[in-house]
Amino acid sequence: MDGRVRPVVLREFYRKGGRVMEAGSAKWQRNLFIASFIIPTFVFFCVFTIYPVAKGLYYSMFDWSGMSQTKDFIGFGNFKEMFRDPIVWRAIGNDYFLVVGKIVGIMVLATFFAVALTRFNFKMAGFFRSIFFIPNVISVVVIGVLWNFIYNPQIGFLNAFLSLFTDEKVSITWLGFTNHTIWMLLPPAIWAGIGFYMILLIAAIQNIPASYYEAADLEGAGQWTQFRRITVPLIWEQMKVSILNIMMTTLNGSFVIVWIMTEGGPDNSTQVMGSYLYQMAFRQYHFGFGAAIGVLILVLSLITTVVLQRLLRHETVELS
Amino acid sequence: MMNKKKYAAMGAAVLLASMSLAGCGSNGNNAPNDTASTNNATNNAGNNAATTNDSTNANAGSTNAGATTDTPKLTGDFEVQYFVGGYGDKWWTKVIADFQAANPDLHVKALGGPKINEQNKPRWIGGNPPDFVYIDGPELNDRQMVEDGQLEDLTDWIKDAKNVDGDKILDMLAQQPQQFDGKIYNIPLVLNSWGIFWNKALFKEKGWQEPQDFQQFLDVSDKIKAAGTTPFIHTGKYPYYINGAFLYPAIVSANNGDYKVLQDMAANKVEAFESEAVKTALGKIVTLRDKGFIDKASIQINHTDSQMLFLQNKDAFIPNGLWLPNEMSKDIPQGFDFGFIPSITQDAGQKIVANTSTATVAIAKNAKNKDAAHAFLQFVFSKAQASQWAELSGAPSNIKGDISASNAPSFVKDAAKYLTDPNTIVIPTITFNADVDKAMQDATDALTIGKIDPAGWVKRVTDVVKKVAK
Repeated sequence: MDGRVRPVVLREFYRKGGRVMEAGSAKWQRNLFIASFIIPTFVFFCVFTIYPVAKGLYYSMFDWSGMSQTKDFIGFGNFKEMFRDPIVWRAIGNDYFLVVGKIVGIMVLATFFAVALTRFNFKMAGFFRSIFFIPNVISVVVIGVLWNFIYNPQIGFLNAFLSLFTDEKVSITWLGFTNHTIWMLLPPAIWAGIGFYMILLIAAIQNIPASYYEAADLEGAGQWTQFRRITVPLIWEQMKVSILNIMMTTLNGSFVIVWIMTEGGPDNSTQVMGSYLYQMAFRQYHFGFGAAIGVLILVLSLITTVVLQRLLRHETVELS
Repeated sequence: MMNKKKYAAMGAAVLLASMSLAGCGSNGNNAPNDTASTNNATNNAGNNAATTNDSTNANAGSTNAGATTDTPKLTGDFEVQYFVGGYGDKWWTKVIADFQAANPDLHVKALGGPKINEQNKPRWIGGNPPDFVYIDGPELNDRQMVEDGQLEDLTDWIKDAKNVDGDKILDMLAQQPQQFDGKIYNIPLVLNSWGIFWNKALFKEKGWQEPQDFQQFLDVSDKIKAAGTTPFIHTGKYPYYINGAFLYPAIVSANNGDYKVLQDMAANKVEAFESEAVKTALGKIVTLRDKGFIDKASIQINHTDSQMLFLQNKDAFIPNGLWLPNEMSKDIPQGFDFGFIPSITQDAGQKIVANTSTATVAIAKNAKNKDAAHAFLQFVFSKAQASQWAELSGAPSNIKGDISASNAPSFVKDAAKYLTDPNTIVIPTITFNADVDKAMQDATDALTIGKIDPAGWVKRVTDVVKKVAK
């Protein structure tokens, strides 16, 4: 008897207990599974983002050459000096000039191209899509060098082109007017940015059901009305993302094109925050001051993001 | 179940890997062993002229034997940091190999490369620098290094230091070391000069006179302009070219050939910047500007573009350094013949002023093997190494010595002759404070395009000087 019952009881016992144990370890394993993704990401994020930002904040409080073994703590001294420095203000102005110029230029042209390549069914659309995207695969450094040649007063394309229409050879120094040189950096920056946002908007437009446009056609709405009433509201989310992205990449990354083309000159007229940071930290040996400009870029980027998000808040239009 | 276990195991592995990676960040100060430590085998690459090298080697070997009699045997590690730029690294690999051969018990490590200044920065900050440093290239500035307390004070040592041949080092230098508050921290190794270039062939063809002073320069520029060529081009993107080759010699000329005024400027003395000499010199730039001699393209172009336009004979004169023929060697058109004068701003009868451009060597204050570093200085500043430098780097060395027998390029020999001529005023190395230097560059750019006048230049620069001197 015993010999028959015991296995059953044991089997029952093990089955129940085993299930409890199994459930517990499954939960534990699930957590471990999640943790194995979250923790490394978090550790990397801390090491490569939080730590440098914290360290940058820390250095901005010091008078440090960037090479010396000793650093002098000066509290907010660098920030006080920063706000007294006219070049910092010019750099901020130039940065926001580029932000506004690029947002307007890129969004208008990218939207125009996106609509042109999707809504007007012409055969070469694929070809033009590729052509417009090419600047995006070229390094910004190459773009800078290329546009430097375009603007070259003696052997540049722009003057050579203009000379076709004049009797005398045109010799405008495009990057030499201290008051307007920053304008000249807009075309390369816009040219380099259109392709990506165009593709983004094309994808958004292609998601709009054709029936909307057909219905609008039947109702007698023209292309412009269709664009204004159908296309823009339905791609607004993508436009918003594009605008925010242009703003952030410009505040953080306008350094590259400025540094390649003008190094902030002539006479500091094209200095942006990033280029002035580099100039001060690595050319003039004020690493602490450079770090303070870095903090300024961070703060301004955050504020601008919040403000822009508020401004662009728009009733979401549902596809239904 | 099995799958989950697998995932968990994988997750743990990823975690471990990431932790070990994260550990790398905090431990960056290990000696950069990946940088090639010099083996004797690496050095034969640059030795094309076997005969000269043999003789110099023999020389080095024998003299070292003499020197080691009164100095203890050098042992341990010895690290040399050298930036590789326009002068290349042939000389460095050679001299380090020679030094290693002369001191077999010493382990010489060469830390060289175009990015070495950035790479080694953490070691300097961390107080663990290489023993010996060649100060050249970006992110190394001797004045800043002195202010940061990174360099060994050589004032007492250099006073009667002798090189491996038994010659007094100071007596051998063509230009004396720069003094920072009366102290010497670094010794000039290269003797290069700023100056004004033209194309002799073009001048001959057009019948233009090669200028020897400022008036002649203005006269011939009038003719050049009338003939449809722009007289003068410079790089506005890097205004230190026009400052180094035109403005600073002009200041010295206007100060009756006394370069003390430049040294005072480097020492941040406001009155030096306000001196008549500075105003007169700035006036000469204004003259060029107002006569329309300066190529309008200058303000926006970099040095290469300005040099290209000069080589294409679109512009007659260019302020530059003696490295120009070497730098542009691939683009020099057939028949182009470089004419050079160290300065063009002196009045008739005044001496020519040569503003030197140099690179120096120094010992780190925290060097671990200072004996070896001193011995290396004694080794480097010898006649044998000087002629080897001229030959392998294409630039004149700062050691007085006849290099006419060496294989150095002919323009290097010519330049060396110019710089050792008693009728040339040679301005010794001067490093300005980086902020003041930048202010002067910006102001000169602004002056050349008529944005400010000389008084505005002085005002801008002195404002920065006052701030820096605080």
